[in-house]
Amino acid sequence: MQHIKQMLDRELKKGSAELLILSLVEDQPRHGYDLSKLIEARSDGVLKFRVASLYPLLYRLEKRGWIQGRWIEKARQRRRRYYRLTPTGAQVLKSQRSTWREFAQAINRITGIEPA
Amino acid sequence: MLWKHLPDEIAHHLQDMYDDLRARGVSDEAARRAVAAELDGITFDRPLSDIGGDVRYAFRALRKNVGFAAVVVLTLALGIGANAAIFSVVNAVVLRPLPYRDADRLVVIRDNLPASGLRDIVISAVEYLDYRARNHVFDEMAAYDTTAFNLTGRGEPERLDGAVTTASLLPILGASPALGRAFDETDNQAGRDRVALLSHALWQRRFAGDPRVVGTLITLEGRGVEVIGVMPPSFRFPDDSVELWMPIAFDADLVSENNRGSRSYTALGRLKPGVTIAQAQADMNAVTGTLVRDYREQYRGGFSTTVRGLQTDIVGDTGRGLFVLLGAVGVVLLIACANIANLLLVRAHGRRKEVAIRTALGANRARIVRQLLTESLVLAAIGGGCGLLVAVWGLDLLVAIAPADTPRLTEISLDRRVITFTAAVSMITGVFFGLAPALHAARVDLNETLKEGGRTPGSGGRHRARRLLVAAEVAMALVLLVAAGLLINSFARVQDVAPGFDASHLLTLRIAPPPATYSFAKSQQFFDELFERLRARPGIEGVGAVNALPFSGSGGDRTFYLEGRLNPRPEEKPDEQVRFASAGYFAAMKIPVRRGREFTARDSQDAPQVAIVNEALARKYWPDDDPIGKRLTFSRQDVKWYQIVGVAGNLKHRSLEIADVPEVYVPVAQPLFAGPSPRPMFLVVRTAGDPMTAAAEVREVVASIDPNQPVSNIRSMEQRIGASLGSRRFTMLLIGVFAALALVLASIGIYGVVAYTVRERSHEIGVRLALGAQPRNVVAMLVGQGMTLASGGAAAGIVLAVALTRVMTGLLFGVSATDPATFAVITAGLALVAIIACYLPARRATAVNPVTALRNE
Repeated sequence: MQHIKQMLDRELKKGSAELLILSLVEDQPRHGYDLSKLIEARSDGVLKFRVASLYPLLYRLEKRGWIQGRWIEKARQRRRRYYRLTPTGAQVLKSQRSTWREFAQAINRITGIEPA
Repeated sequence: MLWKHLPDEIAHHLQDMYDDLRARGVSDEAARRAVAAELDGITFDRPLSDIGGDVRYAFRALRKNVGFAAVVVLTLALGIGANAAIFSVVNAVVLRPLPYRDADRLVVIRDNLPASGLRDIVISAVEYLDYRARNHVFDEMAAYDTTAFNLTGRGEPERLDGAVTTASLLPILGASPALGRAFDETDNQAGRDRVALLSHALWQRRFAGDPRVVGTLITLEGRGVEVIGVMPPSFRFPDDSVELWMPIAFDADLVSENNRGSRSYTALGRLKPGVTIAQAQADMNAVTGTLVRDYREQYRGGFSTTVRGLQTDIVGDTGRGLFVLLGAVGVVLLIACANIANLLLVRAHGRRKEVAIRTALGANRARIVRQLLTESLVLAAIGGGCGLLVAVWGLDLLVAIAPADTPRLTEISLDRRVITFTAAVSMITGVFFGLAPALHAARVDLNETLKEGGRTPGSGGRHRARRLLVAAEVAMALVLLVAAGLLINSFARVQDVAPGFDASHLLTLRIAPPPATYSFAKSQQFFDELFERLRARPGIEGVGAVNALPFSGSGGDRTFYLEGRLNPRPEEKPDEQVRFASAGYFAAMKIPVRRGREFTARDSQDAPQVAIVNEALARKYWPDDDPIGKRLTFSRQDVKWYQIVGVAGNLKHRSLEIADVPEVYVPVAQPLFAGPSPRPMFLVVRTAGDPMTAAAEVREVVASIDPNQPVSNIRSMEQRIGASLGSRRFTMLLIGVFAALALVLASIGIYGVVAYTVRERSHEIGVRLALGAQPRNVVAMLVGQGMTLASGGAAAGIVLAVALTRVMTGLLFGVSATDPATFAVITAGLALVAIIACYLPARRATAVNPVTALRNE
């Protein structure tokens, strides 16, 4: 079972990583560590991003202009880089969400899994 | 901050993670471990991190793949080590200045006599005095001649190699005795020349290093000679073999005008500061110009000198062979580099994710190239270090197999220049094999790579690079193989040359009765007695003697006159090799006597003079006539006719490679001129068994006649002929080894490319097999692709070889540098090896289980 989980993890992450990040910064700017914790917590540990994959992804999204990072200093806290969704990013998120939904529904119809 | 070298953002991330873990009660150590695991072994550099960091990172990266590092280091150690070893020889023989003071100002002066076709010959004592008095370019001049002395009177008699010199020799070389005094000008006067300087080795060997040897009398050539000094251990002149120096005695006879043409000395000059060799040559041309005017009769056929640097004179032709070797071993290193570059290209492919991440994290392309290049340089440095060790070991081997006549052989060592060379070669090698893969790796497409998540079809560029490298390897290997093939071919042909006598079961040695204790007649009695006693021994089938034995390095020509042609034109005056032989010499050597007879005991001093000529001489002077019965004389003033009684077969004298020369044989018992002195002779003994085991017997018989008579230069004839091939064998052996190495490396290269193709295309191959393709068709396809590569390389190699083997023309014998048979055999052999190198990995492709291959996708 272990290798199936690993495979699932890898495949899903590959296809869904961008969608996950964009969704998480949709309502508020977040920093990298926050993002990695949220992904792990909300997926109950099924999805986990390591530094080596997370930051390259963030930089790539930033380079495409979908998110924008900015250094922010808060009282009694470390200086951190917060990422927020750009208008372009919002459009991409919208389209990716609908694509994903269609894809998920298609899979569900075939496999007989009830929609969540 | 715990991870201060990381980009701030990631460092903060890791710090947050650490703090969280600690807050949850995880121990410091466990928290650090977790954070390190998060990094997944990837290190992040700041764009401007130091070289030390690069090197540390390189070591870490190599430690992660020890097998790869070991293969590369081993390949480099062999390649660089072989280069360092060969360079050490080139360095010692050709590059390093001679071990004399201001060695670059030392020149050798030799005579040229165009009318006799003689170039670069020794000079006479009279000429030496003239050159010295008339030149304007030398601070000082010296003359010397190598000779040999019988040392007797203390222990076993021994024949020592020595030299006679002018007193000026040591000051010119900047040498002085370690013990005692040097020669002074008075030592060169007749009657005051009975003084000697010993080499350090001789002093140790024969005088137990006793410092009281200075001032003692020793017996050389039967005369008492005073030891005046001992030279330091490092002093060698003119070569390693010389153990004793004595002054030249300039007596009235030696410096008389009659002896202007008696040439036996080599002249040495020290250029005045700032004078070039060309200027010295011009000055000497002026000097010889005045001599030609002053001594018109002696120099009527023209006369000049050649001034040449002493180093050039000593190294001679050896340099060319060595540079060919250096070139060949350089090619081996190039092939090794190509193989390593190939490995690195594969590895770069495997590391592209790491590179992508580092690029994402802010490292620019130059930064990545620098890091990967540092890894290559670290590999090259380790390889170079190990290479030096290989060189130390290889050098002993090289010196052991090098031909004994290699100049300056004992000076070969690893010095600072060799180490600098090795370091430079290592670094250049590192850049050479590292740069292309580094540039390639750094050209990673970030998005593509990170999205791919692991496997992709390889990029076209990398494949092209790998295939080009392998084709180049094949081309270079073919050049070396052709070179080796031509040399082996030449060697076989030289060995097949018949020497003109039977070289097996022949013991040869030198006996020189000293004139001080032997008259000519007494020396003849000595040899007669010796022959008689030896012939009586069982196991000895024949005995004879000659003054100039084939393959002994000795020989000499003389002018003679044919009956009826006493006044030939100068350019037609017969001047040929003349040998003095004993009765029974031809039988002992098994030199065929084609017509007439050989010398017998009846050809004594009182009997009518006779001579034997060889076929080459007979053909030259009596092309349409029978030479038997014809007569010749060696002097027109005091005519003494030698009647030709036999025609002997031609034989090889100096080397198997030189065409047969005309020779005249005269019985040693019938000297050419009145008042002869005893002649040093080579004894030839034909034995039933191993000739070398007879040596002790011959010594014993000699000692039973005269306990003070040394025998020297004891060799079997086969050893002499073998030694004459030494330099050819050495070059052939080394080029052969290098070519074999090149072939192995190139086949590894071919194997690697085909094996990699099989791995990368396992999916496609699986599909083909699943769709019913015959395994042998798949193998044929893969072998065909590999062979396309090999044939491309081979075609380029043939073109290269045709262009490059021309430099070897001087090293070849009996084959042309473009010998089609050699090219064909070598190319076919290479093709066969290439097919095997393709077939082995290709065969594995058919073992691919279609299901597995597809599932892996």
